Amino acid sequence: MSMLRSSLRNLFQRPVTTAYPNVQADLPQSNRGRVMWEMSKCIYCRRCERVCPTNAISTNKEAKSQTIVRNRCITCNACVEVCPTQTISMVADYSKPDLAPTVHIFSANLPDYNFRVEHLPRGSGSRRPDEVTND
Amino acid sequence: MKRPTTIPIGPQHPAFLEPLNIGLELEEERVVGATLNLGYNHRGMEYALALDYKKTQYLVERVCGICSNHHSAAYCQTMEDIYDIEVPVRAKVIRTIMMECQRITSHLLALGHTAETMGYENLFMQCFRERELAMRLVNEISGNRVHYSINVIGGIKRDMDAGMERHTANVMRELRPLLEDLRDVFARDNTLVKRMKDVGVLTNEQARDWCTVGPVARASGLPQDIREDGFAAYDMIDLKPVVRDEGDCYARTMVRMDECLHSIDLIEECLKLLDEGPVIMTVKGHPTGEGLSRVEAPRGELLYHVKAIGGLQLDRIKIRTPAFLNVPSVQAMLPGSRLADVPLITVSVDPCICCTDR
Ligand code: SF4
Ligand code: SF4
Repeated sequence: MSMLRSSLRNLFQRPVTTAYPNVQADLPQSNRGRVMWEMSKCIYCRRCERVCPTNAISTNKEAKSQTIVRNRCITCNACVEVCPTQTISMVADYSKPDLAPTVHIFSANLPDYNFRVEHLPRGSGSRRPDEVTND
Repeated sequence: MKRPTTIPIGPQHPAFLEPLNIGLELEEERVVGATLNLGYNHRGMEYALALDYKKTQYLVERVCGICSNHHSAAYCQTMEDIYDIEVPVRAKVIRTIMMECQRITSHLLALGHTAETMGYENLFMQCFRERELAMRLVNEISGNRVHYSINVIGGIKRDMDAGMERHTANVMRELRPLLEDLRDVFARDNTLVKRMKDVGVLTNEQARDWCTVGPVARASGLPQDIREDGFAAYDMIDLKPVVRDEGDCYARTMVRMDECLHSIDLIEECLKLLDEGPVIMTVKGHPTGEGLSRVEAPRGELLYHVKAIGGLQLDRIKIRTPAFLNVPSVQAMLPGSRLADVPLITVSVDPCICCTDR
């Protein structure tokens, strides 16, 4: 009987779900979506690389670049907190899903917050480029 | 005397979200014996967690998705025990708020799953709709819906501002009537009550013998609740463990439902306790020594034991999860029940195989 009441009420309500992905997901501003580098600030101290619990980051001082395996990153915010120059920031929206193993490379040659996408050989899964060549 | 028929249920079964296998012995429709087989989900987490104690506070949440915050809180408490420090009061209170929020989401998941196992999809969706309010709230507080990553050794990482405190209070006010409606359905709906009453009874003695913890034990009349120990901020708030005597599926479901409502009370009390102050303290040096801590996860007592040897690497980290104690007790509940009730009884202990196998 009590269920009948709530069923009737639900019948005249608007749906609570949204038509994702046609409608953008309503993420709160504080959401930990993905990490971004503002490379002009980076001093290549490698603290982010060392603190990352999943070894998702590799810092390359010679090439002035930061490589991140998005599939590995668990958005724990540790790298954002450890960075002495506030180079890394966490943005609310998620990165796009990949169809093949890729890494995102932020480098000083690119504008801040921009990255290029590099494809890894098939079957690399969420390995970093250096781990792939080690195989 | 006919020999009983033996059939396997699981590891892949539509009623179970995770792989567990029960070898059932049947005489006609009656279950006469049950043997549980686990280990399909073993990942060797305890070894991986011992590699670097600083990274462990994030990885430990991945032991289980539905009580992630309790795992990281227990781990951080254990490390604080080793360092012998007392975290600031505000950090304790926010930890408690997050733990209670997670209890609500976890119990609503279990309740929804119970309803779904009985074929009551309508109620399942309703549970998940109310759950979404709490999920959204924790996302706003911590930045993630599942893995909050808010606990660190020495306190918490993200503070709540005054706006967020008000918002939390508003969400709790909004959630209470919705959960009371749900409670009404679970308590009085004819179909549900007939399906759950006197099914899968675990008597008080059996509950004690099988070492059950948490809602399973409390539904069988064992008044044990680790929150009464007063870890985090539980010694500052008025806790009333929910205990029932029947020991059947209905009692277990109702204990979870009432605990959800009680969690709202506790969160509201915690919000009043929030004073100005720091939320984190600095911790120096590598840990040395042994530490132990218990928290009351949604499924019951969660125990962490850590042995640190003064480096980044830990000597051993031992996790005893509540599901590890609760899941085997289905072997005591199943004999005597009908085959059709097996999924319901198994789901009513809220089995978390990720926790059990680690
Ligand atoms: S911690 Fe910051 S400054 Fe240091 S390498 Fe990483 S991004 Fe650059
Ligand atoms: S957010 Fe965490 S997992 Fe992701 S790159 Fe930073 S430290 Fe690594």
